[in-house]
Amino acid sequence: MSDQSKQRVTLTVNGEHREAWVFPHESLLDVLRDVLGHHEVRYGCGEGVCGTCTVLVDGEPVSGCLLLAVQADGCSLVTVRGLAPAGDLHPLQACFLRNGAAQCGFCTPGMLLTAWALLQHDPRPSRERIRRELVGNLCRCTGYSKILDAVEEHAAEAAERTGGHG
Amino acid sequence: MVAAPFGYQRVSSFDEAVQALHERGEDAKVIAGGQSLVPMLNLRVARPEWLIDINPVGAGPIEEHGGSLRLPALTRHRAIEESEVVRRRCPILAEAAAHVGNVRTRTRGTLGGSLAHADPAGELPCVAVALGAEVTVQGPDGARQVAAGDLLVSYFTTTLAADEVVAEVRVPTLGQRSGWSFLELSRRSSDWMVVGVAALVELDTEGAVTAASAAVGGVAERPWLVPAEVLLELLGEAPEQALLARVAERAAAIVDPDDDVHASGAYRQRVATVLVRRALAEAAARATGNGSGAP
Amino acid sequence: MAETEVPARQEAFRVVGQSPSHHDFVDKVEGSLLYAADWQLPGLLHGKVVRAEVPCARIAGMEVSAARALPGVVAVLTAADVPWNQVLERPTGGLGELAVAMPVLAADRVRYQGEPIALIAAVTAQIAEQAAELIDVEYDDLPGVFDPERALEPGAPLVHDQGNLLVSWIIARGDAAAALAAADVVVEGEYRTQRVEHAYLEPEAGVGWVDTSGVITLRVSTQVIEHAPTIATILGLPQSKLRVISTYMGGGFGGKEDMTVEPYLALLVWRTRRPVRMVWERQESIMASTKRHPFILRYRTGVQRDGSIVAQEVDIVGDAGAYPYLSPRVLFAACATASGPYRVPNVHHRARAVFTNNAPTSAFRGFGAMQVTFGYEQQMDRVAERLGLTPQAVRERNFLDKGDTIPTGERLDTAVAAGQCLRRALAALGEPARPSGPGRRIGRGFAVNMQPYGRTVWFHDRASCWISLEADGSLLLRSGITDLGAGQAASLAQIASEVLGVPLGEIGVHIGDSQLTPPAGGTFATRQLYMSGNAALAAARALRAGLLPVAAEMLGAVPDDLVFEDGMVRERDTGAGRGIRLAELAAACRQRSVPTAHLGTWYAGTGTFDPATGQGASFPDYTFGAHAADVEVDTETGQVRVLGYAAAHDVGRAINPLRVEGQIQGGAYQGLGYALGEEIVVDDGQVASTLLASYLLPNAADLPDVRVIVVESGEGKGPFGARGIGEPPIGNPAATIANAVAAATGVRVTQLPITPERLLAALDAAAGDAR
Repeated sequence: MSDQSKQRVTLTVNGEHREAWVFPHESLLDVLRDVLGHHEVRYGCGEGVCGTCTVLVDGEPVSGCLLLAVQADGCSLVTVRGLAPAGDLHPLQACFLRNGAAQCGFCTPGMLLTAWALLQHDPRPSRERIRRELVGNLCRCTGYSKILDAVEEHAAEAAERTGGHG
Repeated sequence: MVAAPFGYQRVSSFDEAVQALHERGEDAKVIAGGQSLVPMLNLRVARPEWLIDINPVGAGPIEEHGGSLRLPALTRHRAIEESEVVRRRCPILAEAAAHVGNVRTRTRGTLGGSLAHADPAGELPCVAVALGAEVTVQGPDGARQVAAGDLLVSYFTTTLAADEVVAEVRVPTLGQRSGWSFLELSRRSSDWMVVGVAALVELDTEGAVTAASAAVGGVAERPWLVPAEVLLELLGEAPEQALLARVAERAAAIVDPDDDVHASGAYRQRVATVLVRRALAEAAARATGNGSGAP
Repeated sequence: MAETEVPARQEAFRVVGQSPSHHDFVDKVEGSLLYAADWQLPGLLHGKVVRAEVPCARIAGMEVSAARALPGVVAVLTAADVPWNQVLERPTGGLGELAVAMPVLAADRVRYQGEPIALIAAVTAQIAEQAAELIDVEYDDLPGVFDPERALEPGAPLVHDQGNLLVSWIIARGDAAAALAAADVVVEGEYRTQRVEHAYLEPEAGVGWVDTSGVITLRVSTQVIEHAPTIATILGLPQSKLRVISTYMGGGFGGKEDMTVEPYLALLVWRTRRPVRMVWERQESIMASTKRHPFILRYRTGVQRDGSIVAQEVDIVGDAGAYPYLSPRVLFAACATASGPYRVPNVHHRARAVFTNNAPTSAFRGFGAMQVTFGYEQQMDRVAERLGLTPQAVRERNFLDKGDTIPTGERLDTAVAAGQCLRRALAALGEPARPSGPGRRIGRGFAVNMQPYGRTVWFHDRASCWISLEADGSLLLRSGITDLGAGQAASLAQIASEVLGVPLGEIGVHIGDSQLTPPAGGTFATRQLYMSGNAALAAARALRAGLLPVAAEMLGAVPDDLVFEDGMVRERDTGAGRGIRLAELAAACRQRSVPTAHLGTWYAGTGTFDPATGQGASFPDYTFGAHAADVEVDTETGQVRVLGYAAAHDVGRAINPLRVEGQIQGGAYQGLGYALGEEIVVDDGQVASTLLASYLLPNAADLPDVRVIVVESGEGKGPFGARGIGEPPIGNPAATIANAVAAATGVRVTQLPITPERLLAALDAAAGDAR
């Protein structure tokens, strides 16, 4: 029911309804960046290895470079800019800022999204669990410690806010 | 990074997939999770004319039937890793799934896709071979059953015809006296295995081995099943270190792995000796209920 | 013989020594920062470099007509289209390297796999790819040379007609040969380091367009906007018509110090007169971007029985790849630092850079001073072993101290806290762990290093910074500095805030524009905090000095009694009540025609070096540090697990302690990747894998947290006594791990990376010897 010509895809990006006409060979990454203006989703390797193009697709982290845009038709996507209203920071982002977890910042959106998704499954992950979950988000600047610090700090704060066990 | 152009067809059943493949012939490829295929498209090393997207087929639940678990082909690695029934009834499969790639790979990647891709260093193919998994393959003439060991023939090569798809995978559940181990050596955490071993050991109440199997990834053109005659030596014996070491050495002596950018063939063979021994020991320890037994 | 412990300095600073987050970091966690590939312009074309598939060949023919004819292709350029098709680097100012020019696009000869041979601009990336596939190149393969020692042999194929030896440096003092002959013990060692990739997460990228008055404007990810004149020369344009803007980079580590996309982007913009974007694919970056030099290091160290070093001979051969780039300077830094932080009275160091048909090597964090650490720090452990002393005792006996003379003949004039760093790193590790099972062994190792900061002094280095007080009391800061992500721009704001009392949030920072910001000289050589930091300090102080009399007059106070804080000028110790806002002060200055903007320029010290004697001036100063690690070795598989890691550096003064820690943790991690995993494998000039998947960058689960000890001697040459810390922490890890592995197993892996396979082979060899 289709061919090489452009197809219409309908998506929700950060809560906003979007449509685009795309070729089947176009990746979600390229369409998000060049058609929909979401430059915060970044090209780093095209192999699904580096994690800079991480997008939440229906709540789960996915490599934007390995998903065809046509496959995302009907999906709900969240990029890092969807974590908090414009001009605001999500508390996890605030922890990244406070802990110096961003240096060059190129990996930061992917890190934030992967960590955010982890915290949905496991609100108080151990440092080891956070390490394992972040293995697919490479960072060349920080040595990861400050990223782990930030995720742990946010989880602790969130637990305190919700009266969870600390 | 831009894939060469291709046509794209979504299908909502395996029958429809088979029909599409039949019509398009050799120039069509099935896309499931896409975690191995799309990098090759992006690098323009794979250039199919058509992609047949089977994702809309969806995956039903993992079900236990008699002595086996039935996993739909589109079961994602993450679903296997987190499945209650898999963790309880076939924990080696959950363990292997947890070793696949990173969280994004596991979110999208599928069991059927992993078998059809036939990476000789893949975790799930290795475990499927050790378990003697049965694969349901759907083709123009209906479904057929094939053992995982017969499906996987060489580097990225299966016995799937151009118009066949993997529809379901059946693995045996592990009994009370069965122990398992999945060990891999990789150059980096969660990376592709240099060598990986999946081992199963069953003991009787006296602690003697009643059944054993082991498959080794990364040492041959496909997951390599340790021959039954090598493991025969274990039967009726207590799984002591010296015996396991002897069996592991005999097993690894048979393979002749190739070199690649991460390790030489000789090193892989050496590591296979160590990991087969450790995996058998760990499996035996688990079979006695001593799951923490040092490998 | 340890140096004096450096006391912690307690001075009152308001902003220096704090760790505020700054403008760019907010943008980064929001995801709003626009990197080089993110710029969009109407009608943007997609640019692509077509690269040689073979490493050494004559181009017998190139057919581009089919590519040109493809609908959607706007331009296809080859060597014949380049107005001035050569780049001539004189990286040492002509102190002795061969003059070899590099073509922008290869014309008749290719010298490495991935060398650019043509350029394409097309309306979509897909069409650019298709056009590239339509270019048909006919190669006549030529014999190549891929090993630098082979390249030095008589009769080896010549990479360039001028010869294969690009440069040969000597640094010599005393009589090393005689002293070695007279030494109680001579320890010899050979060490080999590998080719590695910077692997910044942001691939090389940029967007270019023709701006007002025909100015070709490139907005690119670069460490050095000062390449603008070179790019203008390539295009045959006056320098006034070529503008380079540097974006905040997604990492650089030296790999964006040479030009990357700039000349190609500029050519396509110049030819098409349309905006063009060029983003290198990860795989082409791995194949063809510059790499770190593989070194072959040969050491002979002469010592007395008490452990004192009397002489050291070092011979270094570095693989420069196919073109000069910065190899002469990298090998100079290696030559200057090859004996490390130790007193060596008799020295003979030789360092040669040699052309091969491999991808060019150039700047990479550590810049030659890092590879040699793998040599001299293993030598120190070997000396200890031979003499039956502890590795720490041998080092403590030989550490340099302030006032000592280094191999170039220069006297160190700031604190040397090497010993203190070592003791503190070791203390931080605590008790060693127990082996986790049979066949596992535990070992502790450490390594001390010295890394220059600032350019070699013969470059007469300078940097400028402009600061103005705006009418509303806010500040504008302009600097040609480029920002790698280490907070280079933010640090300047922090310094300005310290001097002028303007809150950080009220300081606008504009950086990295070759036509709009004062030149800062590029971000490399750990020079920007030192150079631009001092320039910002000078500008801020000059501005403050100009404002002070006006404020004193307004307040009826003595200038010396005034303080600048919280956006106000007030009398010291009078509390918040009495004072004037900076906005009022700015207005008063305008009425009195007192300038409210100042350009500060910092000039580094100068000197000369005599390549014939190997004596003279080299670097402005050094940063010293020590790392220590506990490892566990699986003796059956050769796998090394790092159990604990500590890193201590004397940073002089931590302007922003959080960022200092981040630099040390990140540098150590890169060094650990170098120690244990990373390698670009090349077979006869062909890169074995160009996949990022195959390049073993450490991930979050590979290594433990790096514990950081920040030592502050207060004696650096940067602002407020700071030293540079960008490069130093990458130097120690490889030797630290090698020494820890040797301590665990008794065997030493002298070739990097220390792979499980190499370690197992060394264990086998040792077991074979024992039998």
